[in-house]
Amino acid sequence: MRNKLAIVLTLLLMVVLYSCANTNSIPRVHPENVGHAIPDCTECHTNSWGALNHRAPDFMGKHRFYAGTARQTCRSCHQEDFCTECHTRKDEFKPSEKLSDEPLRTLPHRGDYLSQHKIDGRINPVSCVKCHGRQNNERCALCHH
Amino acid sequence: MKRNHTKKNSCTGMLVLGAGTALLASTLLWTAPLMAYDYSFSGESTTLLRMRTTVDKKSLLPLYDYLRLTMTDIRSDGSSVDFYLGAWGRTDLVDKIGDKTADGDLQYAYLTYRAPKNNSTVSVGRQFITEGVATERIDGLYLRNDFAYGIGASAYVGNTVLTQPLATGTSSSYQAGTVVYGGRISQENKKYYTVGLSALKSKYDGGDVFREETGIDLWVHPVEKVDLGGHSNYNYLTKGWMEHSYYLSYAPVSTVRLGTEYANVNLKDYLANVTTSALTYLNPVLKANKSQDVIGATAAYTGIKNVTLTADLKRYNYDQSGQAFSYGGKAVYSLPDDYSVGCTLHRMDGGADLLRYMEYRAFATKKIGHYDVTIDATDVTYDKQQIGITDSFAVTGAVGYEVNHKLKLAADVEYSQSPEFSNEYRGLVKATYTFDTKHVAEGGTKSEK
Repeated sequence: MRNKLAIVLTLLLMVVLYSCANTNSIPRVHPENVGHAIPDCTECHTNSWGALNHRAPDFMGKHRFYAGTARQTCRSCHQEDFCTECHTRKDEFKPSEKLSDEPLRTLPHRGDYLSQHKIDGRINPVSCVKCHGRQNNERCALCHH
Repeated sequence: MKRNHTKKNSCTGMLVLGAGTALLASTLLWTAPLMAYDYSFSGESTTLLRMRTTVDKKSLLPLYDYLRLTMTDIRSDGSSVDFYLGAWGRTDLVDKIGDKTADGDLQYAYLTYRAPKNNSTVSVGRQFITEGVATERIDGLYLRNDFAYGIGASAYVGNTVLTQPLATGTSSSYQAGTVVYGGRISQENKKYYTVGLSALKSKYDGGDVFREETGIDLWVHPVEKVDLGGHSNYNYLTKGWMEHSYYLSYAPVSTVRLGTEYANVNLKDYLANVTTSALTYLNPVLKANKSQDVIGATAAYTGIKNVTLTADLKRYNYDQSGQAFSYGGKAVYSLPDDYSVGCTLHRMDGGADLLRYMEYRAFATKKIGHYDVTIDATDVTYDKQQIGITDSFAVTGAVGYEVNHKLKLAADVEYSQSPEFSNEYRGLVKATYTFDTKHVAEGGTKSEK
């Protein structure tokens, strides 16, 4: 009985909160065309959006936090395939192979990664699990049975 | 038997999912004119032919095609319905790469509705979920909405997208769960902060729990030039914190940006539920250390026109293996849509032989009329020999030609010398074709990619 009451009260609370909410959705397309160069969000945004400045040296390290809290913001400029260029599954190309004409982009596994993965796997296995470990294991399974 | 069921279910599920989503998308989009305000259809097909010879003299000539499609219906009330699809396929023209002469994958295929108010979103299909503790690819349903007082909530449920069934002889402990669900509740003041609480649970067919995790996340920007964020994730099955990972960025002036990060990871808890032997905590290489701490710092200077200078430092600290330092810098001169040139230099100093090396990279790209030319070289020099050599080197040269705004051709050649391969050449030919039915439907060439 108490559980049912809690569920009903929670649903009622959500209905009230939903009714009172009136925020504008984040635009599905960024209002200004930022072109193909790596954008500096601080050129226009002086508020919190400026933190998303893609030219900041630590942006790549931080983008996972932004994606985990405000993915709809990413979607204003990036479609799904932009994410899957790196966060892929069952792919047979390294990102740097598919995008060899984009040397400015920070892409994982450049150069001789067959040798380098032994180093990265020991020094920071957590960085591997961002993309491998639970999916995209095909390349791992060729040697690691 | 379980392995076969998984494979069969996965294939059937993929077919049903793809057909169902495509049918639903077609129905919504192509019967929409009566109520539609604006709809468009766009896509990109990238065909790649890769050439290489293996150490056992097999000539590999696989032909790939990567296809992405987007169908969009923007309605008069500001809401939109989009369908996204990404897939690739391969056929081997000469020798086989593996057991099969052809392979492929559906990377994503989902239909999404977005409302003009409250960031209301409903997505169904194969999609990539990033909500707090969850970074999952699922075949399922995703819901999101803003509520009053800065509260937001999201929820998802679906089948785990497995990339492969269990390999023969693989321990059942590497089997992933089949169902995953979870959500995130957040509260924010857009000007100052966002704080979130998220949870994820994954179960096997029989009901046993594969993963049960919860996380708290934080994003604070108390003043204009400061940005602080991160998350802490807890594993209920191992009853331990998986990781605490936080960063702080500060831009004292417009030309200088400083950043620092800290991460503490308990490997036993973090690696408890992986599905490959390479990254399991049972791996002796990883088991030697119970936890690792990473402290890093970066600095960037952009005071010289078109030049970016950065420096970075990381210290890795382990329970048993001691410390390792990585430090270096990067210099880039870039004129967008004209040419860019850059170089990086990094030093790794660790306790093991493998962890003492220098890494160099240099690259340049130049646009000349319809052509663009790129060269990119990476070199790693080890302090001590690795399998007979001290130097691992790879250089790639690429040339692209833009036939028109829809079609681009490109080719590249990579030469490498490494501990694994003495002299290896790889070639790649690429053709990219883009198409859309309403190029300027959304205000010019959309910047999204």
